[in-house]
Amino acid sequence: MKTVFVRQERCVGCRHCEVACTIEHSSDKGLLSAIKKETQSGPRIHIEVVDNYLTFPNRCRHCEPAPCMQVCPTGSLYRDETTGSVLVDYLKCIRCTVCAMACPFGIIEFRKVPLTDLNREVNAKCDNCIGRLNEGGIPACAEACKTGALEYGDVNDLIRVSRRDFTTRLIMSQGAESEVPVIPENIRAFKAVMGKLATLS
Amino acid sequence: MTDQTIRTEAERRASDRADQEIIRKALDEGVETVWDRFELQQPQCGFGQLGVCCNNCAMGPCRIDPFGGKTSHGVCGANVDTIVARNLLDDLSVGAAAHSDHGREVVEVLFKTAEGKGQGYQIKDEEKLIRLASEYGIITEGRNSNEIAKDLALGILEEYGTIKNSIQFVERAPAQTKEIWKKAGIIPRGIDREIVEAMHRIHMGVDADYVNILLHAMRTSLSDGWGGSMAATECSDILFGTPKPLTSWSNLATLSREKVNIVLHGHNPLLSQMIVNAAEDPELIRFTEEKGAEGINLVGMCCTGNELLMRSGIPLAGSFFDQELAIATGAVEAMIVDYQCIYHSIPATAGCFHTKVVTTSTKAKIMGTIYKEFTPENAQDTAKEIIKLAIENYPNRNPDRVRIPEKPMQLMAGFSEEAIRAALGGTYKPLIDAIVAGSVKGVVGIVGCNNPRIKQDYGHITLAKELIKRNILVVETGCAAIACGKAGLLLPEAASMAGDGLASVCRLLGIPPVLHMGSCVDCSRILVLAANVAKELGVGIGDLPLGGAAPEWYSQKAISIGTYFVTSGVFTVLGIPPKIFGSGNVLNLLADGVKGITNSAFAVEPDPVKAADLLETEIERKRKALNI
Repeated sequence: MKTVFVRQERCVGCRHCEVACTIEHSSDKGLLSAIKKETQSGPRIHIEVVDNYLTFPNRCRHCEPAPCMQVCPTGSLYRDETTGSVLVDYLKCIRCTVCAMACPFGIIEFRKVPLTDLNREVNAKCDNCIGRLNEGGIPACAEACKTGALEYGDVNDLIRVSRRDFTTRLIMSQGAESEVPVIPENIRAFKAVMGKLATLS
Repeated sequence: MTDQTIRTEAERRASDRADQEIIRKALDEGVETVWDRFELQQPQCGFGQLGVCCNNCAMGPCRIDPFGGKTSHGVCGANVDTIVARNLLDDLSVGAAAHSDHGREVVEVLFKTAEGKGQGYQIKDEEKLIRLASEYGIITEGRNSNEIAKDLALGILEEYGTIKNSIQFVERAPAQTKEIWKKAGIIPRGIDREIVEAMHRIHMGVDADYVNILLHAMRTSLSDGWGGSMAATECSDILFGTPKPLTSWSNLATLSREKVNIVLHGHNPLLSQMIVNAAEDPELIRFTEEKGAEGINLVGMCCTGNELLMRSGIPLAGSFFDQELAIATGAVEAMIVDYQCIYHSIPATAGCFHTKVVTTSTKAKIMGTIYKEFTPENAQDTAKEIIKLAIENYPNRNPDRVRIPEKPMQLMAGFSEEAIRAALGGTYKPLIDAIVAGSVKGVVGIVGCNNPRIKQDYGHITLAKELIKRNILVVETGCAAIACGKAGLLLPEAASMAGDGLASVCRLLGIPPVLHMGSCVDCSRILVLAANVAKELGVGIGDLPLGGAAPEWYSQKAISIGTYFVTSGVFTVLGIPPKIFGSGNVLNLLADGVKGITNSAFAVEPDPVKAADLLETEIERKRKALNI
């Protein structure tokens, strides 16, 4: 199964993923149309920030089973079996927000969505860029991320990298000084300075 | 927000009690301030913070993966070192341009004054005029001051575009320091030239070598510190007088309940000094009474405030972060701004109250303000017009919405290089003796701004206290000086907070352990002081036990100041990281490699106590090298 895997330590909070997501979900998928109010587009991935420098890209995990799907009273949430994506049938959504209550990550937002004639707010959650996936592409957020904080691929392949990091850390912990995953020294220095600033006085 | 959360938030934002009181009022009334906007901007882009984003050309914007991924070059082929160094040079040039262009305006007014065209201006410090004229090789004997001033103004104006390949003020540096610059090929060749060349080098496909780019950054900074800024300081002194020690007051409590409050904010004293003169006009005072007020209360803010305090003892309402708070007291009839460090949202803040914001520079217009163009020819008339406008606004003040803190803090200012030398008895020998004896270990210049990344004034005050405790004399300019003024450190009584050695020197001379040397262009006074001490000792500036610090800097001008400090030989600690951490090479060069050239370097340390440790270590290192 493929997913967008998050490597938090690489997120620099540039919000490029939010912009790319907004463009992808605008009426004609362009930067200029995305910033127009009438297109009612908005990001479905959210860069959350703590202490003004620690950031995390929070996005639908497309759970299986998905709590949101399980509680939806109208069956508007459904799974695309080929890609594993949890999708919304906007016509069936009654904006009861029960899905948002059930979501363990708090990523469901309600807004008017383009590409439908609906004049009401519906569950506008991440659709995993299903159109892109069907054409052999990858989600817009992962494509936009230039630091490797968001990576799209087979979940076990991506986890393998983390596992290797963990194993190395475990072995190195017997006295060796090694940081895994390897963060360049200058970036580590920057994070240390920002960390200090966040906790001053 | 509950009262308790408002209180906690105010304490998180600012150190000064008067500031906290008005922050609480602003939060309570929903008046937006810099801290709110900072919060709304989170998270801020990491590419930008690391300096690895290049938005110079239309093939971009490009950004380099700071984790060493595939995106290692911009579309143009620039690597991360080039991009980071180029962005730094860009920022530094903006700062140098701001200082130097401010300087140019002062020299132009000196020229107009000499021609008899400056309305209300006169030459106040003839001694300095003659001294500068002799530096410039201008004949003074048998000539009146206007004739001399005209030649001097032309001589300094020429420095901006000179073809003689060096600028005169550089000659003030000790021979050893000049030799370092000569060897590195960074003697500034003209004030405007270095900035223009910087812009050229930043263009796509020009300078790619980060070392070469940074050397030019150093040269550009020298053209500011030993050029444009020095011209601003010296010519302001000639026109308005060289500062002498005086006492005054600071913080938001300097605003008056009964008088018409006019806040003078920005950087250039040219118009505001005219307002100070015009405020004594009996006709205007009569008009004030007509409108029900008890007089005119002028207060300064930011570096315009520092300029007026230094020469005329005008009280300081506050620093960069106090501009919105002053308005939020509900007691300000008019805020007059020239340029630099003015929030462009200030008309919106003023819109919450009766305050009128007046812009005065053709270079710095802000929509929603009243624009009164200032020119040397109409200076006095404009000044009166502006005061009148403020008085007319007094009846619009809503007393129910006014809140002015109770206690202003007294301070002592006016420590120009000349004044410090005079306090020492005309020569630096007493200071040098004290340094040799170890009662004063060294001198640190604390400069710079406020930044929402750190509690307002916390960095300035904590560092100053830490240093004086360790017998290190502190000299300050800009918002750092205002912070210490509000905290009571600019008083002779503050000697009790200093170490024994420094305290006894302060008591002997009747001076504070933290000396207010002026506005941010007056960092050039610190350079002159360092140069004169070095020359008296027969060494270079880089040999002296000196340090520099900018604990709360935000502005590009601070990058230029920090760089001319380091390039002149002064180790400098920054409390806020500059946008260079994306390149290990640039970082290493500025924190280490540059030592091989100037015997000084940059350090980044947000914790002011640890910054004091770094500065003390550096001072000890230099003392040791001097065998003291």
